[in-house]
Amino acid sequence: MINVALQIAEEKIFCSGHHACPGCNEALAFRYIMNTLGKDTIAVVPPSCGAIISGPQPLSSMRIPVYQTTLEASAASAAGIKRALKAQGKDHVQVVAIAGDGGTYDIGFQALSSAAERNEDIIYICMDNEGYMNTGAQKSSSTPYLAYTTSTPGGKPTAKKNVAEIMAAHRIPYMATATTGYLDDLANKVRKAKEIKGMRFIVILVPCLDGWGVADNEGAKVSRLAVQTGFFPLYEVENGTKYTLNHGSEGIPVAAYINRQKRFRHLAPEQVESIQQRVDADWEIFKTKFNS
Amino acid sequence: MPEVTKVPPVWTTGWTDILNTGTWRSATPGHQNRLSPCQTACPVGAEIAVWVKQAKEGQYQEAWLTLAANNPFPAVTGRVCHHPCEGSCNRGEYDAAVTINALEQFIADLALQEGWSLPAPADKRDMRVAVIGGGPAGLSCAYQLRMAGAEVTVFEAQPELGGVLRYGIPAYRLSKEIVAGEIKRLLAAGIKVQTNVKVDAQKLAELQKEYSAVCIAIGAPKAKLPPPFSGNEPGVLNGLQFLLDVNRAQVPELGQHVLVIGGGSVAMDVARTARRLGKEVQVMSLEDRQSMPAQEEEVLEAFEEGIVLLDGAMVQEKVKENNRFKLTCVKVTLDATAPAGVFKPIVQPGTEFNLVADTVIVAAGQDPELADFSASLPVNNNLLTVDANQNTGQAGIFACGDVASNERFVSMAIGAGKRAARRIEAFCLGRQPGDGAAAETEPVAYKEINTFYFPMTPRKEKEVLNPELRQQDFREVKLAFAASDAQTQAERCFSCGHCIQCDNCFYYCPDMAIIKDAMSEPSYSILDQYCKGCGLCVEECPRGVIVLKEVKR
Amino acid sequence: MTRMLLNGNHAAAHGVRLAHPKVVPVYPITPQTPILEKISEFQLQGLMDADLMTMESEHSAMAACITASLTGVRVFTATASQGLMLMHEMLHYASGAQAPIVMFNVNRTIGSPWGFWPDQTDSLSQRDTGWIQLYSESAQESLDTVLQAYRVAEKVLLPVMVMHEAFYVSHALEVVDIPEQEIADAYLPPFNPPHRLDPEIGESWGNVVDQDMYYRHRETLGKSMEAALETVVEADRRWQELTGRGYGITESYRCDGAELIIVTMGSMVGTAREAVDQLRNQGVPAGLLKIKLFRPFPLDQVRQILAGVPKVMVLDRNFAPGTGGFLHHELKSALYGLADGPAMHGYLAGVGGTNVSSDKIAGLAREAMDQDPAARSVWKG
Repeated sequence: MINVALQIAEEKIFCSGHHACPGCNEALAFRYIMNTLGKDTIAVVPPSCGAIISGPQPLSSMRIPVYQTTLEASAASAAGIKRALKAQGKDHVQVVAIAGDGGTYDIGFQALSSAAERNEDIIYICMDNEGYMNTGAQKSSSTPYLAYTTSTPGGKPTAKKNVAEIMAAHRIPYMATATTGYLDDLANKVRKAKEIKGMRFIVILVPCLDGWGVADNEGAKVSRLAVQTGFFPLYEVENGTKYTLNHGSEGIPVAAYINRQKRFRHLAPEQVESIQQRVDADWEIFKTKFNS
Repeated sequence: MPEVTKVPPVWTTGWTDILNTGTWRSATPGHQNRLSPCQTACPVGAEIAVWVKQAKEGQYQEAWLTLAANNPFPAVTGRVCHHPCEGSCNRGEYDAAVTINALEQFIADLALQEGWSLPAPADKRDMRVAVIGGGPAGLSCAYQLRMAGAEVTVFEAQPELGGVLRYGIPAYRLSKEIVAGEIKRLLAAGIKVQTNVKVDAQKLAELQKEYSAVCIAIGAPKAKLPPPFSGNEPGVLNGLQFLLDVNRAQVPELGQHVLVIGGGSVAMDVARTARRLGKEVQVMSLEDRQSMPAQEEEVLEAFEEGIVLLDGAMVQEKVKENNRFKLTCVKVTLDATAPAGVFKPIVQPGTEFNLVADTVIVAAGQDPELADFSASLPVNNNLLTVDANQNTGQAGIFACGDVASNERFVSMAIGAGKRAARRIEAFCLGRQPGDGAAAETEPVAYKEINTFYFPMTPRKEKEVLNPELRQQDFREVKLAFAASDAQTQAERCFSCGHCIQCDNCFYYCPDMAIIKDAMSEPSYSILDQYCKGCGLCVEECPRGVIVLKEVKR
Repeated sequence: MTRMLLNGNHAAAHGVRLAHPKVVPVYPITPQTPILEKISEFQLQGLMDADLMTMESEHSAMAACITASLTGVRVFTATASQGLMLMHEMLHYASGAQAPIVMFNVNRTIGSPWGFWPDQTDSLSQRDTGWIQLYSESAQESLDTVLQAYRVAEKVLLPVMVMHEAFYVSHALEVVDIPEQEIADAYLPPFNPPHRLDPEIGESWGNVVDQDMYYRHRETLGKSMEAALETVVEADRRWQELTGRGYGITESYRCDGAELIIVTMGSMVGTAREAVDQLRNQGVPAGLLKIKLFRPFPLDQVRQILAGVPKVMVLDRNFAPGTGGFLHHELKSALYGLADGPAMHGYLAGVGGTNVSSDKIAGLAREAMDQDPAARSVWKG
């Protein structure tokens, strides 16, 4: 059997008593990011659910310094900290930016791309819940095709931006995708990122229970279905060229994933089929990256 | 939260773990060991999930002790049990059921090889019990009572103990060394035995006086004789008697062509035994192939050994010519409206056919021999009547096994013996018998298993001897697992409802509201202060150990 | 001390070099670019050990400045015009976090339409962002003010913006005295903030607050800003002790017995000084008040200087539509309720970098003395 416990070693950085919703997968991801990175870390969090989870002044949910920045500035803010740490001779301290998909794919992308180009020595983690969930579920450029949000009530007409490939194209030392249904894989990737110098980027798919319309107890399960249906493959790219697939499509129909989420509830059968076709086509293209 | 006006408006210096997010909760998870479906289905009520888990961990002796707690004959049942556990195994809905029966054999054989002994019986208590019949039911009853501290004497009509284990089931299914080994180990617990003692009405009355309780477990040795056959007819043999004789190496004259009448396990045993004696064997069963009571694998193995089945058929007329039977047969269907246990064949006109046989062996069911008891005890439908607690209704007289049940499986008999022992113990000690069965909850359902954690792995069957070799002698057909097979197959077990301390609940809590203490039971506890009641731990428990309960405020 | 012929931007860069910032996030924009170029040169030559971050925008440059500063190192950046506009959000963020950043802003028109000319609207429109603002009129003053700015910023934990104007100061060559490093080191103590982003300390910044906590943060910020005024005075005095050069938070020039005082900031001050000399030579009792410290506004000083003066003429090389000249607006507000306060003319002169000569200022002063002032700022070319 799959033994999650064997893969995880935790430092107790992330605290109980935070204000994430019951069953929140982002809080779960926070736990393994923080507890894997350990005490010699400074975090940057822009406005997001992560900012709420971080705790209200004077209480923090993380036993490390956390700096809360503006929505578009995470990568630049993190870079500023790291440069200052280097100047102080504290290069051993990790700096991690943890932003949502709005703060990454959309408004924060300019700063992120530039930090990647400069190969800033930071870890940038995108908590991808496929929309502006903290403001009540609006569309972001990460929202998948045909998904309902309050700003795309008829379903989003365009595809999700492929931020993983965009970041890999920056040829940064490490790019990885992860999700909460594979906690061991997630923790491994954070640990691996920790041991690499330069720009590291991890996009973590975190089902938003409220924004996606998923049952409180099913976040991890839904995230697994995203992987098993081929919606969100888990893989790594080193230096923009070395691809490693960790968990990919198991040929499960996308309906198995879609049917557990209210945001896809309005779809007609032919629309589900069109999603299936897109996922299949993407997977065919994707597979070729692992041939070399 | 500290009052803001008292905190200087500078940097954040405290931690959220002083907050009470547990107040958001409307449901609370709790860890509890729950019934696995295999245990519910098990005729002896064995804690299968427990001993398989012990086996998984390589703790074979502990696994065997767990097995032996409910069943003194795991090496026997590891061979001949009809294993309803596997039929109910949740893994069956996923890829294939766990090979529980083979694992049981592996562990039980290991116990015999290693000479592991049973735990010492409980201190002597004021219980003197006579058990009539040394078959699986009687010995199971005697064992359980002895372990509970009773003084037990077994009265056996045959020269040796074992009943069908020794005299019924052929050696190619159940090696006699195995039977002897398990009985010997059992007797070492201090059970008294009187063999060659047939208990009649008068003896029963004596026993009743001498002992605090009596348990009747005399089995069902009397063959039913469907028309047109009658008793004491040359060329017609009683199936059980035939098996007894062969087991005692007193092989009767059969001729070359043997017809076995019957569709159950005994019929298969008889047919395959005759085949091993070099005969051409046909089996005729009233039931069609799908509804024959014999286990599917027995039938398949019989086919492999060259036995011919004539299902949905019966003999209408017989003529003896030149010391051979000329039989007129016909195809039949069974009237589905007939009551359970009653056969009403409907002849299909125009399907008559003829057969020739040197010997006809009738194995169409057996009845107990109740002549000695019917005067004093209630009898119905050729069985001693008992309640769910194996009580005959007459104070101090209990019955178990084939004498009181039509479910003619070795494991059922062992289970009934155990059940009888529990009630006898309560009776002797003057305790109000607790209602054991009612307290149990529903077993863990398949949908409560998180199959993500169990990669598909193939089920391995016991290896079966080549059919050519099988027909040569009575060597065991099914081969025990190697240790490596036992390990990989044990690891397939979901451990439904049984915490194996995998820590998933601990790791999947977004609120760090589960703490672990391997020394306590259960090994995890829920922190009220933080648990928001999301149920993620319940979902991510691979085996249904955690139950969410509504919080009433 | 070294004496060199330097333009204003290079003079400012020398000030930065002497302050030894550790992290310098930069982004080019005319007419600031020579500052970052000079700093890059210094770094290449090993004269500075700053870590230069070549950002993709001024917004990110300011974002990095804030965090580097909060991590406990001295930082610097420079910008102008649109760059400052893009930073706007982060300017508030910096002051809210009380990050002692020093930034140089070269005043330049803001679009649209495009222009590259001296005009203070860019920085003045950021007057409410919680930054201390200091306006310089010369290359030498810019160099000196940069060093003063660090001393002030790190004492009161507020960011400081130093301004001079495009081309008139930024690109004009002047003789500049460059102090020795020992002087600068004696003047600027090492930066060692009590609260910082440091795992050894474990404190966090920017967590969500409730209404009461927010109120108290703003109140605290206000107190720091109030305290800044005295700190600027002290910093200037100390610099004067070390170098002989001081500027004050305001400068009164030939104000004794003046019946009209010209009030202005930045490069216009030099021209107005000449106009005052010209007027005085002609017997017109005119004086000049230079406002160097614009934020916090030196309210008491201004009231004291202008009390009893019959007329004031404010010259604004900046314009806020619907408000008029920023300085005009500030002064009206500052002098409100003053019993013997002056009548005040507000002239929009030199907006967009148009040429305002000393003759023109003298002419405007004569006109102002003869006329009653309008309530609003008046366009005067």
